[in-house]
Amino acid sequence: MTPFLPALTATRAPLLLSIMTIATAVLALSGVAFGSSWIPIDRVAAVILGAGDKTQSLIVLQLRLPRVVIAILAGGGMAVAGFLLQKITRNSLASPGVLGVIDGGALGVVIFLAALSDKSNTLVTSIVFQPLAAMAGATLGIAAVFLLSGSQSVSAVRLLLFGIAVGAVAKALVMVMMLVGPIYRTSQAARWIAGAVNEVNWTEIQITALLLLPLLALALAVARKLPPADLDEISARSVGLDLPVFRLLVFAVAAALTAVSVAFVGAIGFVGLMAPHLARLIVGRSMVAGIIGSFLLGAFMLVGADLVVRVLFSPTEVPAGTVTAIIGAPYFLFLLMSKQRHDG
Amino acid sequence: MTANPAPSISIDSLTLAYPGKTVLDTVSLDIPRGKITVLAGPNGCGKSTLLRAIRRLHRPVSGRVMLEDIGVADLSEKALARHIGLLAQNPSAPEDMTVEELVRLGRYPHQTMLQRWDSQDTRALEAAMAGTGVTSLRDRPLGSLSGGQVQRVWIAMVLAQETEIVCLDEPVNHLDLAHQLDCLDLVRQLNAEFGRTVVLVLHDLNLAARYADQLVFMRDGGVAAYGTPDDLMTQDLIARVFNVDAMIITDPAYGRPLCLPLRTC
Repeated sequence: MTPFLPALTATRAPLLLSIMTIATAVLALSGVAFGSSWIPIDRVAAVILGAGDKTQSLIVLQLRLPRVVIAILAGGGMAVAGFLLQKITRNSLASPGVLGVIDGGALGVVIFLAALSDKSNTLVTSIVFQPLAAMAGATLGIAAVFLLSGSQSVSAVRLLLFGIAVGAVAKALVMVMMLVGPIYRTSQAARWIAGAVNEVNWTEIQITALLLLPLLALALAVARKLPPADLDEISARSVGLDLPVFRLLVFAVAAALTAVSVAFVGAIGFVGLMAPHLARLIVGRSMVAGIIGSFLLGAFMLVGADLVVRVLFSPTEVPAGTVTAIIGAPYFLFLLMSKQRHDG
Repeated sequence: MTANPAPSISIDSLTLAYPGKTVLDTVSLDIPRGKITVLAGPNGCGKSTLLRAIRRLHRPVSGRVMLEDIGVADLSEKALARHIGLLAQNPSAPEDMTVEELVRLGRYPHQTMLQRWDSQDTRALEAAMAGTGVTSLRDRPLGSLSGGQVQRVWIAMVLAQETEIVCLDEPVNHLDLAHQLDCLDLVRQLNAEFGRTVVLVLHDLNLAARYADQLVFMRDGGVAAYGTPDDLMTQDLIARVFNVDAMIITDPAYGRPLCLPLRTC
């Protein structure tokens, strides 16, 4: 413990974040280069900059780049939501996946698809409203968890149980909607539930980006106010953090971030749990660096997961959500077990 | 209390209830400026609740708490945190948080969107750590400190807030005898040196009598009696408030009243 340690970490954060940015960019480029046919990185760059031949342009711009871009946005958005939730609940097990946020969002989307499609399975309204439906569902999900858990929400494991219960109800309702809904919607909803970044088009990416960027800015602004949230409720309030107000604000921002992230790619689990943990390990307690780090790591994880399914299972399209779940679920179990020992 | 400046805090007919239970029943009390006021009473008498109500951590059903001519109900959360610091009964912070990181949080209410950390904050941070003797621990994680050290760090955080009023809720709970004295001596020193108005909740009647300028006995959500320790530490009052038959003697070392509990009554 040298006296220079905090200063060192503080100055290291920008460097670490730069390294993470570069790593994510490299992975994203590889994500575009890899696939059923290999396109060299320089060709990828050429296409993105406006040159390149027609076939390569089509593959890069219409097939591969969209899924990489949406993976960055969705992975990053969910990670930031997870970071905020873990901070405000002081609970390292909190994440959009276990607090009913994602399942609530899924229910919102499935109801939206079922209710607003006509007989020929075309949406009677604009696709722009799909993220809003997800937001409504996600907000209802997390609100239900916290209203039901009430004063028990301070206990990590109790909160989790309520989250799982609410999530189960939402999942069951989604299942019912799928079974009674039109066939085409069923396949779309099934894909949504597993979480996949393929088949996302540029319009959907634009909608996601337009909604996500202001929310990320808001998350940064909120996070700057949050340092006292590391303390217990009374201490946090007595140094002037208006916790009852901030808690609602953070839940709303996290629910909206999650909903927008998953609106088109579906329920991708565990990124929102793992990325903030890793970010904290790397950049420490700083709120702003934590948000940026979470975003980068979440983006990295989802782009990576998608790359893995494409390389391993090509030409079958396996949803990227399966990879994050295969890695995330055991990690979650590990956390749960060590937490259990802690709580006694 | 010879001179009578305006009280630091005036509590006026404060009533506070949890669902189905009245916890404070029309409590009125003045907290004298620059003095140490100790709230004491049996379990569940409402002393901690009163302390938290002063800091507006609970909303009263009726009545009000005034800081001179401002009601605490009218202040923003941050403005209130610049007037009153409060150390919770069982405060908790992450184990890997360093001493300095925690004490820095005491400066939170002094920072706004426009005004970030400045030399004033640095000065207050250093003064708070020096005043509580934790400067040499500044880079240590909280998890590596003893209970007595941790309590000093929390006091440093409250001190860094630079509030004219400091509330401490059972600050010596869980501390051994040496650290209890250490902690309360520190509080008295801060009161004497910086002129802070201190409101303490203490369980131990003899510690209360030893450190209080004004002692307040509470019972059943109301103030049973208040005054100097000499006024309050009587056989009669202690029987009435605590249901204990006690013998009151004068402690030979400090000349303060000392209560020897004999049996419940």
